[in-house]
Amino acid sequence: MKTLKQHIYIIAGLLLLGACKPEIHTPKPVAGSADFSRYISVGNSLTAGYADGGLYLAGQQVSYPSIIGKQMQAVGGGTFTQPLFSTAQANGSGYLSLTGFNADGTPITTAVTSNLGIRGQVTVPGFGNVILYTKYSGDINNYGVPGIKLLHITYAPYGNLNGYFERLLPGNPPTNSTTYLDFVTAKPFTFFSNWLGNNDALSYATSGGAGDVLTDKNTFAYLYNVLITTLTSKGQKGVVATIPDVTSIPFFNTITVSAILAGVQKANPAVQALYIKALVSGSTYTPRAATANDLIVLTFPTSKIGQPVATPFGNLPYGLTPYTPIDNQYVLDEKEIALTEDYVTSYNNTIKTIAAAKGLAIFDAYTFLRNIKQNGLVVDGVSVNSNYISGGLFSLDGVHLTPRGYAIVADEFIKAINDKYNSSIPRVNISDYNGVKFP
Amino acid sequence: MRKVLLLMLIVSPLMAFSQGFQVNLEGQKQIGMGHTGVGTLQDGASVFFNPGAVAMLPENYIQGGISPLFFKSDFNPAGTSTQNRTSNKIATPFEFYAVWGPKSSFWKLGLGVYTPFGGLTDWGNTWQGKYVLESLNLKAIYFQPTLSIKLADFLSIGGGFVYNHGSVDLTRAIPLANSSGEPGQAELKGSGKGYGWNAGIYIKTESGITVGITHRSRVNTTISSGNAIFKVPTSIQSSFPQPNTFTSTIPLPATNSIGFGFYPCSKWILALDVNLVNWDAYKTLSFDYKTNTAALQDTHSARNYQQAVSLRGGAQYKATDKLALRFGGGYASTAVADGYVTPEAPDANRVYGTMGLGYTLAKHLDIDISFEYEHLMQRTQTNIESQLSGTFKTDVYIPGISLAYHW
Repeated sequence: MKTLKQHIYIIAGLLLLGACKPEIHTPKPVAGSADFSRYISVGNSLTAGYADGGLYLAGQQVSYPSIIGKQMQAVGGGTFTQPLFSTAQANGSGYLSLTGFNADGTPITTAVTSNLGIRGQVTVPGFGNVILYTKYSGDINNYGVPGIKLLHITYAPYGNLNGYFERLLPGNPPTNSTTYLDFVTAKPFTFFSNWLGNNDALSYATSGGAGDVLTDKNTFAYLYNVLITTLTSKGQKGVVATIPDVTSIPFFNTITVSAILAGVQKANPAVQALYIKALVSGSTYTPRAATANDLIVLTFPTSKIGQPVATPFGNLPYGLTPYTPIDNQYVLDEKEIALTEDYVTSYNNTIKTIAAAKGLAIFDAYTFLRNIKQNGLVVDGVSVNSNYISGGLFSLDGVHLTPRGYAIVADEFIKAINDKYNSSIPRVNISDYNGVKFP
Repeated sequence: MRKVLLLMLIVSPLMAFSQGFQVNLEGQKQIGMGHTGVGTLQDGASVFFNPGAVAMLPENYIQGGISPLFFKSDFNPAGTSTQNRTSNKIATPFEFYAVWGPKSSFWKLGLGVYTPFGGLTDWGNTWQGKYVLESLNLKAIYFQPTLSIKLADFLSIGGGFVYNHGSVDLTRAIPLANSSGEPGQAELKGSGKGYGWNAGIYIKTESGITVGITHRSRVNTTISSGNAIFKVPTSIQSSFPQPNTFTSTIPLPATNSIGFGFYPCSKWILALDVNLVNWDAYKTLSFDYKTNTAALQDTHSARNYQQAVSLRGGAQYKATDKLALRFGGGYASTAVADGYVTPEAPDANRVYGTMGLGYTLAKHLDIDISFEYEHLMQRTQTNIESQLSGTFKTDVYIPGISLAYHW
């Protein structure tokens, strides 16, 4: 029995051994040739964390710069502060939420209007109404301003025209005169990311080519040079992103000509075509039958189709005759697409050339998102693609990203930074971030 | 004595894997000697190791044992210093054997109940690979009635019929978040059965060396109406119909073995085994759902396992009449090819070392204990299907104990 007792001790010892955990030794993350101690992000809505048609706290918290900033802390990055909406006003500008599906599977979205961060509205003569949000006065690392174009960065009155920028400035409209460029560079920084320029093409595209204009290519090149020169004036390093192919977003690929036509033909098989106002050249538009190459915007109210419209030839159904074409604002037609793509290509060449000349890291968002549109992407067992809602990448507005989309983008920025500066900022755990939330 | 055996049978058999999801814990004496036992003759565990040798056993046996197993795996996602570890769950492979035949007759009957395959991994629901796997509990319990016949003093043969009761319980997260941001979850749970056989030859050569050759057949285990449970947000529940069932077949591969026993002097036994496991039978892991929807399609996930070899060596030293000391070790090549490593079986080439101790408690009663340490080589992989990328490292600690009553 004495031996048995000894055995018990041996077994107990062995059980303790069983508590050993395997450990995979990884090299300590390093900053490489960059200094991440104060990282700032320059950009528009994508940078701000805008999603689901609004800027709100939950979206801000998963903005791609905040994800990058968090990862940078492993390699000497400082605190990354964002101009967050308060918890009491967490819904910020308001946003869309998915509240269900119709019988035919189409989504129902509802505007969230409670707990907003809106303090009022002013009318700017000659411009229009500007919504004013609750002011933010703390430190800022994320300078993302929804709606801003590269065109605006040196325009002094801009702080009175964009509520999201006005919110960050101390003064009230119309007294603001700080340019965006001066604002972001007022405080020293060591590293930056820049993803400006999207709206110089996107605002034209999402308005169906009707409500906005493409920024002139030379102006774009001039301003981009000013921007990068200023951002790197003290030897700062950084990363820039190219402008995505605007036609790769679900905003243009969810409601299609063929789907609308099929719906109409169910009720009226005689209908042959949808009619749109299409660009001929310059600002000349003529009606013609729509083809699969024309893109309908996500916000097009399809119920308008077939409604009687008064014309000199009597009442005719909306969208179904050359006399009652679908309004320009709902369609990015083939020629408008070609025009947009031409400008985006030019902007991107500018971005890549200037960034290369300054030795900056480049995240080629154009190629990356285009590739996802064509082939999809699998990350950590999750399939994502560019489809509306089900793709998991784009939020309910069909333009901006979901938390999962922003995490994927943050990871791509980090890859580009690590490659360029021989740093090893830890990669992002994409599986921590969700796609669209379902009720 | 009987109480102890009963207790061992009651303990639910959860397992972890060794090489693919094979578990090599079928006899404490044999574990102590580096899992050898095809070409040597120790006790009732020969029912598993070599049914051909059973008729050569000088006595009848009832024995049972258990090997509580600590499977510790670590995953380091590529480009990070994060360590994702499996939670501390103890799998309990067990073995039970009964061998009986009239004294000095030419035949013996045997029964083996053991757990040759299984897996118990729980990575939790917050780790990086949660959409690939949260947890897996795979069990196979083989029941093997056996007949062995001594054809001559130097030659015996035997074979057994195998009935397998298999079960699986697999969970993974579904990347569809509800309004509070929690992802969905799929659980596939069910049990099934499969059949196979087991045969062997045992030879005592004139030079004193003993030789065993065995074949254990493939056992296709089919789960025909497992429960497919999906937790998803309410608005998309209709895409994941409930209740739903699934069918899946898992091939448990055939094993061919040859083993040798050497007896340099009366106190020593040396053993050497070589196994060839036909893991190449495991091509895909498929789940065929009874009710499909556009969102819920049958899954066919490539596994493309490859044949695997293990080399095992061990020794026993009889220190006194009552006490035997054992040690051994071996090497096993991985069944999982590059690009196919999954968190279900983060397999890699492995080395292991074992030691054991046998003690005669009373005239007919032996107690055996063993300890095994397995080390899986660190393996950095990007899975082709899930794109989960990182480094796996696994250590396994397995103490074991058994009692054998013989007369």
